This record gives sequence, structure tokens and C-alpha cells, in this order.
Amino acid sequence: MTTPAEKKPPAEAKAPVIQPMLYKSVVTVYRIFAIVTLYAVLGGVLAYGFVMGFYAVNTTWAAPVILSPADDKSLDFTEKLVTSRQTLEEVSVDKKKLDEGIEEMQRHRAALMALEPELQAAIIREKKHNQATGPQLMELDKQKQADNLKTQAVMAQLKEVEARIDKDLASGLITKGDAATQRAALNQAENSYTDSKIGEILLTDSVLEKTTTDTKTLNVLDKQAELISEIAQLDIAISVAQKQIHEDTQQIDRLKQAIATAKQTPYYLSVSGDTTVYFAFVPYDNQKAVFAGAAVYDCYLNMVICKKVGTVKQIFPGEEHATHPIFRTDIRGFLIQMQLDRPESAKSKTVFLDRKPLIF
Amino acid sequence: MAPVLVWLILFLCLLISIVKYTFALILKWSFPGVTVKKDYSYQPMVSVLMPCFNEGKTVYETIESISKSNYPPEKFEVIAQDDCSVDDSFECMLKAQHDFSNIRVTVGRNTVNSGKARSVCNALKLSTAELVISIDSDCIFHPDAIRELAACFSEPKIGSVGGRVGVRNPNESTITAIQTFIYYAAFQVYKVPENWTRSVGCISGCLFAIRRELLLEIEPKIRSRHWFGIPVNQGEDRFLTHQTLLRGYGTYINNDALCWTTVPSTLPNLFKQQLRWRRSIVRDLFYTLRTLPQHVWTLHPNTVLTLVLTPLGALLGLLVVITMMTGNPMAMAGPAPLLLYLGVAAVLGLVIRKYSAKEAVNNPLAFGAYLAWSVVSSLFITTLALCTLDSKDWGTRMKEQEAADDDASGEETAS
Repeated sequence: MTTPAEKKPPAEAKAPVIQPMLYKSVVTVYRIFAIVTLYAVLGGVLAYGFVMGFYAVNTTWAAPVILSPADDKSLDFTEKLVTSRQTLEEVSVDKKKLDEGIEEMQRHRAALMALEPELQAAIIREKKHNQATGPQLMELDKQKQADNLKTQAVMAQLKEVEARIDKDLASGLITKGDAATQRAALNQAENSYTDSKIGEILLTDSVLEKTTTDTKTLNVLDKQAELISEIAQLDIAISVAQKQIHEDTQQIDRLKQAIATAKQTPYYLSVSGDTTVYFAFVPYDNQKAVFAGAAVYDCYLNMVICKKVGTVKQIFPGEEHATHPIFRTDIRGFLIQMQLDRPESAKSKTVFLDRKPLIF
Repeated sequence: MAPVLVWLILFLCLLISIVKYTFALILKWSFPGVTVKKDYSYQPMVSVLMPCFNEGKTVYETIESISKSNYPPEKFEVIAQDDCSVDDSFECMLKAQHDFSNIRVTVGRNTVNSGKARSVCNALKLSTAELVISIDSDCIFHPDAIRELAACFSEPKIGSVGGRVGVRNPNESTITAIQTFIYYAAFQVYKVPENWTRSVGCISGCLFAIRRELLLEIEPKIRSRHWFGIPVNQGEDRFLTHQTLLRGYGTYINNDALCWTTVPSTLPNLFKQQLRWRRSIVRDLFYTLRTLPQHVWTLHPNTVLTLVLTPLGALLGLLVVITMMTGNPMAMAGPAPLLLYLGVAAVLGLVIRKYSAKEAVNNPLAFGAYLAWSVVSSLFITTLALCTLDSKDWGTRMKEQEAADDDASGEETAS
């Protein structure tokens, strides 16, 4: 069974004549736009795939890096460099002070060392003298004691003489002048005896000094010990100071080395130089293409129609981390310094080293 | 700035999706009002309209499955409409008509290839039933499907009801396994909030029930549907659903009304199907935006949100992928997205195995490949859909025959 053909909806039938033409125009424009868009998408996808594949296999690309003195790494570097220099200066001043201190201590030590044998010689000399004179004095002391004993016996008789003088005076045998003269003689004798006793005691003391170790000797020995101790202390102080100087010297060497190394980094060049310095990050995968003097190429659309824009000037040894310019993954590598004839190339996403990435 | 804006919108879409899915699960488990009150005693006369184009022997199986329906045979009929298939589809229809004499099968044929939407309209002309069920000719239907769909129409404000579409070939390939997950999640979770407000944004054309008077009201719009004078033959299911909502009726998915479809198992077929669907989504978005004030005043806010956000998400996916590929091409290569997809797959795999063993996927981890597909889908399908809005083919069913002339009137025959 066949049913009659459908009728077109009334709205369509009554549509003005101009509407189909308008629709046709719109559809034509749409189709042109759609075709262009689809080809653009297709081209975009193919180009995208090619770029992805290209950067997956290419081993000569490097990513230019513009180091600003104000960026974090440069600021951090500057801060560390200033700190290192300040530390170096402080350690150098300390070392100089220690050098001067050691010199002073060594002079003092030399003086003490010179004093010590003289003291020792004096002690020995004195000891020898005492050894020689001590027995003699002892003999004399004994003799003095015997003399004094004799004198003492004589002095006992002086009482009788004095009594006799008084008796003679009273009896008028002698004048008062004579009596006074005689009494003065007696007093003088008594004084002599007293002096003699004193001399005996002093002599006994001298014998004691010469024949035993007295406090005076001990004082001298104490002085000698102090002298030795002071020398030992100076030795220790000098030794400590010398060790400190050694450590300071090593630290100074390390700091100088660190500063020298720092001066070889791109960050130093970026913060210290007056001229603009161009750097590029090279991933480890691409390091075979890097050597001083290698040509640097910059390309249109990142990879085609390339031209030489400079050379590799310097390769920095330190490891750097960066983000892959295309894949956005973290990668490891190092920085190089470029000598660019065309400074705009420093702003390119990538440059190529040693050779053009494609044949043109 | 632009990428930030794209990511911001994507984040908002994701947030809305998460909220919506979470809300769906809470609704599903906690509120009986989400499901419509079904009245199985309500058994109106039903016409099952089956447009067909180059389906071959599958059409026979489809009619066979309908013939086994638990619905009074005198109360339903099958109207099979062939759209000038170049294979033996029409012969298979006639054979089914002959073999399944327990039901009334009418076979019709367009004189020129007219597209699915017009084939449905042509089939409708042969129907007199109160309720019309439009089906795909490559599906197998559960015996209770018609009964379940009809029962939902006891609620007077319901205009259209859809069934759940399951996958017949879940383990045929990785592609079919992925689609099994997507289909299951879409019906069991994503549609639940829409069911709650009786405002499902798109009822699948595989199993689409609609009141006859409503379809007759919409039919002229279907026939006159065009894009700058070019007839639009695709996306009639989304269009019908949308029109139902705009006429103040409710739309609903009854997950107990089951049918099984053979999903594309090869990338080219999947691509064509998705392209057809994406065109339909884009057209629907343009239509919604063109008549947005009408939508805002007429429809439930949830419906407007669904009608705008779903297609917007597809367009946004394109921008997100472009941003990702130009900004961070390796972002998708990390383990996090893959682990997320595999986690979702593991959960869905277990749920499907427990609640729908027929669709159980042997290798749920195949869902990980959806990650790659989502990039392809977002990047190419949306772009291609936007650039081929003048297309009028049948998508996966195109074989040797090219679509007929745009001005074809869609004549038909019937036997």
C-alpha cells in the first residue's frame, strides 16, 4: 500500500521567497567556515602532534633564560655572596688579631725564658755559698756561745765590782767622778755583753738560714714555679691561637674558593655585570650538542626557517631545574651563557645548538 | 586569563556534577517520591513504532522480543517503518510480520530515505493507539517494558516516559565495556534528580513512550524541523523530550522498563554515533538559548540547569582540552586521572555485577581507556559537531546508500 506524499508544513509553504535564498547564503557561509575550521583543526592537530614528536626526539634544543637581578634565585645568590664576603672579612680580621697576639705572647715567653736560667743560677749560687759558709758560721756560733758564757761569768763579778765602787765612794776612797767613770765602764761591759748575746742569736739565725730551707728560699722557688707556669700557659695560648689561625686560614681559603666559584655562576654575571648577559637552559639529554663556540640557532615557529644568532660562550657546571617549554614537566640540566648577535632571540621559547633542527 | 576562566567554569561544572550525583544517590536511597506511582491496571492501547534503516536481521529479533511482551496482545501493535534500507531489513520485517502472528505487526516503507524522525512520523500515521512507544530497531526489549512504561502514564501530568537502555554486548570490546559503565551510571544515577522533578532532559530514543495526542501536537514541528532550510533528521528523542517539557508535561525514566541495545564496538562506529548525539546536544543548546526566557518561566529550574549545563559541559570540554594541550600537555599523562577513572570503574563494576549481572563487565579496568576517549571526544567530536550541523545522515547506520535529497517528501508505503 502506498500512502500519498506528505505535504510540506504550511509555514514552509508560505515562507517568503527571500527566505530560501537567505538560508542558502547562511548555509554556504557556514559550510565555508566549517571547512576552514575543520582544516584548521586538522592542521592544528597535525602540527601539535609534530611539535610533540619533534621535542620528544630532538636533542639540540635549549630554552633561553632571562635572569633578572630581582628574581628569587638572583636575590638569594646575592644575599649569600654578601654574607660570604662579610664572613671572609670578619675571619681575616680575627686571624690578623691572632697573629699579632701570638707575636706578643712569643716575645713575652722569650723574656720569661731568658729570666728563668738567671734565677736558676742565682739559686744554685746562693745554695753553694750557703753550703760553704753555713758550717763556718755554725763554728763561729758555737765559739760565740762559749765566749758569751765566759762573758756571762765575768758579768756576775761586775755586781761585786759595782758594790765595791759604792763602798769605796761611801768610804771616800774614790771620788764621785771616779765612781761614775767606773760605773760607765761597767755599763759598757754590760752593753757589750748584751750586744754579744744579740750577735749570738743573729748568728744562730744566719746559721739556720744557711743550713736549712727557709721561707725566703721557698719564696724564690715559688717565683720559679710561677715563671715556669706562666711560660707553660703562654705555650698553651700560643698553641690554641696557632690552631685557630690554621682553622681561620682554612675557612678563608674555603670562603675565597666559594666566592671564586660563585663568580663563575650565571647569577653573579647577571647581578654584577653592566652589560646584558644571555643564558639558556640545556637539559642533560641535550648536553652532547653543547660546547664552547657551538652555534646558536633561532627559528620561526620554534623549529623552521632557522638562522644563526650567536654562539655558546660559557658552560656553567651547576645543576639547574626547569620546566620543559612544551611538555611542562620538570627537567634537570644546566645553564650556558650565549653570545647573541640578535638579542631578541633571548626571548624565544627555544633555540637550537650546534645545528639546525630541521634541514632549513 | 582565558585559561583561568576555563578552569574556573570547569571547576563549577564539576562541582555541580558532584553535587548533582551525590544528591541523586541521596534521593534514590531516601525519597520514594523520586519514583512515579505506577498503576499496572492502566493498560491503554499502545502502538510500538519502529523506524528502521539498514538493521538487517536484528530487526527480526527486535520484533520477536516485543512479541513476548507481558501486555495484552490485543492492546498493542507494532508498526515497523523501513527508511529505504539497502539491506534485507524490509524482508526481515515482513518475515517477522509473518512469524509473530500473536501480535499485530504493520510494516511500512518510505519511498525515499527520510531519516529517523520523519520515519517515526510516518509510522505514527498508521497508528490509532492512545499511547505511542518509539523504539530503536536494534534493541531487544524486556517482556515487561511496555507494561512498565504504560503504568507510569497513570500520572496525568506525565507526557513522556523512557526506559533504561542496557548494553547487550558489554564484553565485545573495550569500547563496549566503557559504554556499559556510561549507560548504567547515566540511567541509575544521573537521571535521578531529573526524575524527581519529572523533568528528564533527554529520554533515549531506544525506548520512548509518549501520549499520542502530544506526539500529534509535536509532529508538525518534527517534520518542519530544519537548520537554515536543511531538514534535521537526528536527535528526535531529545527534541521530543524538550517539546514535551515545554508543553508543561513531565518526563520520566522508568528504570524497570528495560531494553538492550548493541552499542558500537568499533571506534569509527562509536565516533559516528557520538557525533550524531553531540550534534543533537549542540542544536538543543542553541534552541534553549534562543528561547531561554520561555524556558526560565515555564520549566523547573533543575530542568533549565540540565538543558543548559549538559551541552555547555560538552562545549567546555573542548576548551578545557585545548587549554590543557597548549598549557600543560602532560597533565593527562599522570597517574591521578587514570586512578580516578579506574576507581570509578571498580565501584561501578561491582554495582553492575551485583544489580545487573547481564551487563557485568569482565574487565572493569578497561574503563581507564575512557580517559583517552574523553580527550578525543571533547576535542574532535564537539568541533566536528559544530561544523557539521547541516548533516542529515543516520550516523552508524549509513551504508552504501547516501541520504536522499534534502527536499524529499518522505512518501511511504505500508503492508
